[in-house]
Amino acid sequence: MKFRLESKIRLYLALLLFFVAGVSFAQVPQRPNPPRLVNDFAGIFTGAQVMEMEGVLDAFADSTSNQIAVVTVPQLYGYDKAQLAYEIGEKWGVGQDKFDNGIVILVKPKTGSSKGEVFIATGYGLEGAVTDALARKVIERQMIPHFRENDYYSGVKAALNVLLPVISGEISTDEYSRGEEDDGLAAALAFLFCVIIFVCVLVALTSDKNQNIGGGNNRGGRNFTATDAFILGSILGNASGSRGRSSGGFGGGFGGGFGGGFGGFGGGSFGGGGAGGSW
Amino acid sequence: MKKGLTVLLVVGAVVLGIFFWFQSSYNKMVKMDEGVQASWSQVENVYQRRADLIPNLVATVKGYAQHEQQTLEGVISARSKATQITVDPENLTSEELTKYQKAQGELGAALGKLLAITENYPDLKANENFLALQSQLEGTENRIAVERNKYNESARNYNTTIRQFPKNIVAGMFGFEKKPYFEAQEGAEVAPKVEF
Repeated sequence: MKFRLESKIRLYLALLLFFVAGVSFAQVPQRPNPPRLVNDFAGIFTGAQVMEMEGVLDAFADSTSNQIAVVTVPQLYGYDKAQLAYEIGEKWGVGQDKFDNGIVILVKPKTGSSKGEVFIATGYGLEGAVTDALARKVIERQMIPHFRENDYYSGVKAALNVLLPVISGEISTDEYSRGEEDDGLAAALAFLFCVIIFVCVLVALTSDKNQNIGGGNNRGGRNFTATDAFILGSILGNASGSRGRSSGGFGGGFGGGFGGGFGGFGGGSFGGGGAGGSW
Repeated sequence: MKKGLTVLLVVGAVVLGIFFWFQSSYNKMVKMDEGVQASWSQVENVYQRRADLIPNLVATVKGYAQHEQQTLEGVISARSKATQITVDPENLTSEELTKYQKAQGELGAALGKLLAITENYPDLKANENFLALQSQLEGTENRIAVERNKYNESARNYNTTIRQFPKNIVAGMFGFEKKPYFEAQEGAEVAPKVEF
């Protein structure tokens, strides 16, 4: 009875933990689906402005592989602005897996009761191009003056005008990340089939021996069994090889479904670089 | 004869199975161990990055705030103490990590003090060089927080793997040991607050 009670309590605790973890995870805005580079959760841009920026950033991502995500949020969800920008970059995977060349521009507009906050978070690969000091300068000179006048679009655009040339000077390639092959799995499968071949050959040989002991002389049968086993084994081995290779396809950018649109975030990683400001 | 062969094959398959399980568990642990070590070197990198910014910062502040000799010296001595302590990633023990964290925490506290006094020097706060250093320093504190989290995460994954049955048997046989975590410390480890 006591044991039962205890396990029940444990179950509740586990459920509670799961719930708490789920809630805290949900606080970072979910990765947009279909993927978009401009995510105006705060509703501070007009539809046309979003389209225009999306077009510019998408073309930039296409030609240089650098991904810049503009995210506006109505609130910071209990995070520090640096942390929220980092979490968005890391969770969404902004930038290519191979270069970590993503940037997140996070804007929380000023409201009656709270300050406006802005943060530019840089992926590992762009820390050299967009240094923290440069990010701060862009925020103070290009963004905040416009933001103060409630002109968020001009602020972000002015910042992009400075950032894009700097970034394309650092990494400019249309090479996209490709998923890595799962070598371990392929090797294991290949080995398994080697073992099967070995066992088949063994069976074939011993059955031949049995036949000899029995006095029968059936050479044709023996040849058939051994060759058969070998062919079977090599077919299976090939199958396992091609299977391992095709699994590589999943890693590289997902979807790319709709014509001309942004193909998806590439899995870039962030290390906490960047700078912020408030007004 | 046939029966003996079947038994032999079954035993062989079981032995092979066990061998492969051992192999894959062992290799996985090695991989994770390497991962923890890699994230540890990232942690040391970002702390080193902070230490590298300090001479420049001290020199800049000195030009404007000669009267703060004591605070400046505090930062310099904390920096030299902190940079003396390095941890061999192969030998990450809880004591070593605590020592490291304590030294870096003291440096963080000294830096916080220094940045607090700069508030009193408007000329310094207008200096472009100082502003650049300040934003780099803030970015470095963010990086430290991120890399510490990443380290803790990979250490937690690793620890979970090596302590779970039946993998703990393999871990015990080959001497895979639990990795320590960064703990949030009261006071000392609070990042210096840089306000803009």
